[in-house]
Amino acid sequence: MSNTSSADRGALRRVPAERIVAAIADAAARWADADFPPRVRVQARIEKRLRYTTPVVDYALDALFRSIDAASLRAVIESELGSLAALDDFVARPNRSHAHARAVGNVLVIASGTTIGVAIPATIFALCAKCDVIVKDRSDGFVAEFFETLAQERPEFARAASAVTWNAGVTPGADNRVLFGWAQAVVAYGDDPALAAIRAQCTPGARFTGFGNRATVGYLSSVATADIDDVELDGIARDALLYDGDGCLSLHALFVERPDRTFLERLGAAITRVAIEFPLGDVTLERRARMAQAHDHALFNAAIGKGAGVPADDGRALVHLTTERPSLAPRVLSVIGVNHVDEVGELLATWKLPLEAIALSAFEKSSDAHRFAEGSGAVRVARFGTLQRPALTGNHGGEQLITPFVRWIERA
Amino acid sequence: MPASAFKSAELVTFPLSQTMLHFTTSGTTALATGHHYLDTRALYDASLLAGFERLFLDGTKIARMLTLVPERDGSSLRHMLLHVSASLDLGPERNFLHDDALDVTGLLDAVADARADGRPIVVAGTAFAFVALLDALAADGGDASLPPGSRVMETGGFKGKSRVVPQPALYAELGAAFALPTSAIVAEYGMTELCSQYYDAAPRPADPARARLKIAPPWLRPLVVDARGNELPHGTVGMLKHVDLANRPSVLAIQTEDLAVASAAGIVLLGRDADASLRGCSLDVEHLIR
Repeated sequence: MSNTSSADRGALRRVPAERIVAAIADAAARWADADFPPRVRVQARIEKRLRYTTPVVDYALDALFRSIDAASLRAVIESELGSLAALDDFVARPNRSHAHARAVGNVLVIASGTTIGVAIPATIFALCAKCDVIVKDRSDGFVAEFFETLAQERPEFARAASAVTWNAGVTPGADNRVLFGWAQAVVAYGDDPALAAIRAQCTPGARFTGFGNRATVGYLSSVATADIDDVELDGIARDALLYDGDGCLSLHALFVERPDRTFLERLGAAITRVAIEFPLGDVTLERRARMAQAHDHALFNAAIGKGAGVPADDGRALVHLTTERPSLAPRVLSVIGVNHVDEVGELLATWKLPLEAIALSAFEKSSDAHRFAEGSGAVRVARFGTLQRPALTGNHGGEQLITPFVRWIERA
Repeated sequence: MPASAFKSAELVTFPLSQTMLHFTTSGTTALATGHHYLDTRALYDASLLAGFERLFLDGTKIARMLTLVPERDGSSLRHMLLHVSASLDLGPERNFLHDDALDVTGLLDAVADARADGRPIVVAGTAFAFVALLDALAADGGDASLPPGSRVMETGGFKGKSRVVPQPALYAELGAAFALPTSAIVAEYGMTELCSQYYDAAPRPADPARARLKIAPPWLRPLVVDARGNELPHGTVGMLKHVDLANRPSVLAIQTEDLAVASAAGIVLLGRDADASLRGCSLDVEHLIR
């Protein structure tokens, strides 16, 4: 039996990190082109699987691949590990012993059911760390197609990266036991029970990084509401409409300090404008029923003097002024009126909405709003209109990007 | 009226001070609770009892009832079962689910007493309680066989409290555990916001796996509608609206998020979207086991 560790067997072990970075960036650049044939093929399959419209999927793929460039990859690696060279060999570190950031070993990435390309950033950083990676992907084959492009850039990727189509669960089954036994690090996305089920399958020594379901909210003080322009209102609408509320960076609720009818109508008009570019997808009947219930509920509440409902996009969307927990229905933007930003935290705690991000206006002058946003538990504070374009360098879920995939070897 | 409106307002046709019954939905602190106020027990109790006798018992004479239901204040289900038990002289309440924990030993002892007595009984419980029972029987063994002619009423869903078992498989396992044909296992479908309930029509013996039709008493009419509220032709999937004439104290017509298909003989329930859950980077546990 060999005593060679899995980290030593990695297909990318002998490839300099700089070349891995360059190859990934080149592959991403090809995918950023909307006419790149693999992207065209995958796009149709994503639309079929997720029922989003073409512009929505286009937006997602543009946002993802335009964020992946050599400068961003380098910036993350240098920020977390000190240098790219640390991935290739022992390097000197100020006031510390020499060390080498070796691949942690094999990495298993269990991809999401909804968010487009959610597995890609974790995967490319695992590859930068010279790990072998298997991605359990959905039936659209997106990751597998991207891996083919990577292999065209450097043949080592063909052995380092592979995708398997999702099939019948994580828990029982010989295939899954083999996969989990193979992995020294597991990355998974899902709700708490799903993450718990996946974590239970990991070997005791495996690193586990779980990305739970999170919400994103926005806040507008009365000053910002007064100053806000149509461009930013369109940004709010885009944040809310993209992916029909599915993403953790979708705007699920907008807290507004003392909103008035004019603001609601301006927001409704913005949703109508943006819905032309990003129309409602072919949502399932179940979700249509939820939308209808949310619409009727909002209009009922408005009729009894509790809140208001402003239809938008010819009745296909709704701005819902409410004091209740957001409905989370597609195309229903809950606007929650508050008297002060401090109420926002209390409501989020009551509603048990864990935050991924919080959005503020570019016109936000309230220091209380900025203080709240930074202490809200959200891992990202963004401007309206930018929520759905996270930078590759951002810390999704508050996690490090390449650190989970390396193991430091010290040399005294 | 959307069912969710019961969470926003006190929907009554009488002065609230005259409330005789008050039911609440099983919401969490994160989700608002719905309230259903009634000014008389008589109408509610008459409606539920008539439905239970005609659509569930269907002429079966029973000696007692054992229940596996949450002991929650404001539960319309618990009220229903207590009222049935009292009206049909089935003895004191025998419930074996306490704080989501199943008293398997107590239940099996009660079932053994029923076997010794020999007369048919009813076991009523939520789906998650039945799954817990099946798991306990598989792990520890035990004889849960019921006297011949007994019936099982399954009500409610899993609500994240147990593994999810498809209904045909659940009923097959329950039939084996209780030593009953699956035709003796009947689903009840009710809502806190309704005064009347649906029950499974007798399944077709030749095709037991086929989705079961739900039937209602004559004063409860299901309508399957589109998003604009227009009634859809039979055979078309749409949203389920209930028109319950026994709901005189509140709202007669209630729009739900449940999907259903109507036929001349009843409706087939198709379920609903996950309850107001965050999707995020979502992969839910049901996807994992699907």
